[in-house]
Amino acid sequence: MHYIMQFIYSFLSTAGFAVFFNIPRDSVIKSSFCGAAGWVVYVISNEFLSSSIAGTLLAAITVGLTGEFMAKRFKKPATIFTIPGIIPLVPGAGMYYTALAVIDKNFANAAELGTEAIFIALAIAIGIIVSSSISRALTNLNLEKSK
Amino acid sequence: METKREAKRLLSMAILAGKIMLENGAETYRVEDTISRICNARSFITYSEPFVIPTGILLAIGFDDNILTYIQRTKSKTIDLNKITLVNEFSRNFVNTEMTIDEGYRYLEVIDRKIAYPNFVNVLFGGFAGGFFSLLFGSSFIDSICAFIISMIVVKTNNILDKVNNIFFINNFIAAALGTLLAILSVKLGLGNNMDKIIIGLIMPLVPGVAITNAARDSMLGDFLAGMSRGLEAVIVALSVAFGVGFMLIIFHGGM
Repeated sequence: MHYIMQFIYSFLSTAGFAVFFNIPRDSVIKSSFCGAAGWVVYVISNEFLSSSIAGTLLAAITVGLTGEFMAKRFKKPATIFTIPGIIPLVPGAGMYYTALAVIDKNFANAAELGTEAIFIALAIAIGIIVSSSISRALTNLNLEKSK
Repeated sequence: METKREAKRLLSMAILAGKIMLENGAETYRVEDTISRICNARSFITYSEPFVIPTGILLAIGFDDNILTYIQRTKSKTIDLNKITLVNEFSRNFVNTEMTIDEGYRYLEVIDRKIAYPNFVNVLFGGFAGGFFSLLFGSSFIDSICAFIISMIVVKTNNILDKVNNIFFINNFIAAALGTLLAILSVKLGLGNNMDKIIIGLIMPLVPGVAITNAARDSMLGDFLAGMSRGLEAVIVALSVAFGVGFMLIIFHGGM
């Protein structure tokens, strides 16, 4: 039940971001699906790996791969599916808690939270790189075969 | 003489296509790709070399034994993924059909003026994004309504500020500070319960997700210049949002 609620909330949240970034009308639901799938992977892997950095990496790879798949399938740029899906993973909460810790002069805490936020951002970048490299490699492989 | 006129038209059309994409948040490699696809679609062009950085486009095309070069500086930075999709479709059409260059130019001008969603729908969904995000972080229903309303105000403020000036550091700072002020007030007035969750929801429409995505995708293809500058953009936006939130918290909660 918990996962279903998380899926619904993240679906609606990603739909909000999708319209906010002016995604074509016929792609809003598809990109929301990418985002919700990524978020559920994040929640599940966060529970089992107990590391939000690894969870974010897996989630970003999921968003990237589903986005690339939809881009191929519907002949649209991949970014319109990945950007809204990535936004919920961006460490906004980490940023906020870091700022809060700095204000409380709790610098040890701030360093810990800030580092985690930076690593989450890097994990997102790496996830996108991995997924789009995979899709590129597959495309090249298909081109080789069809030659 | 006829070829020269045609080549000039094609050059300015390709630059317009690139400009629309770059100013609405496309990756630089995609802009380069689209421009060279458009240029190579017509057989009288013997050579084409686009060079795109996040703030401008350089394009040289060759025909007969001449070379034409054009430099276009790009300015505004909004995010309109609909226009990117439309230009992408247009470039595919232009390559595959016998569309004339004048037709293509007119088509691009139509795309440039197109509005995907009316402004209030945009603001409304920006609010939805923030509100549902705080629910995602486990806030109560009332807190998420607060986050929804404040997110809408934040998005609207950011839109207005973007029209007034284009220093995005200040814009994000003011929007985040205003949002935090409203969140603190809503808790003080007894509307919301958990200030943390409301603030986390309302800063989500401001976080640099597009910059991170584009920086990663550009770096992957070896375009490190664009990757670095987009990465720096992400860092500056994140810092300005954090400063905006921190500034208001210091005023109301003391510390430092």
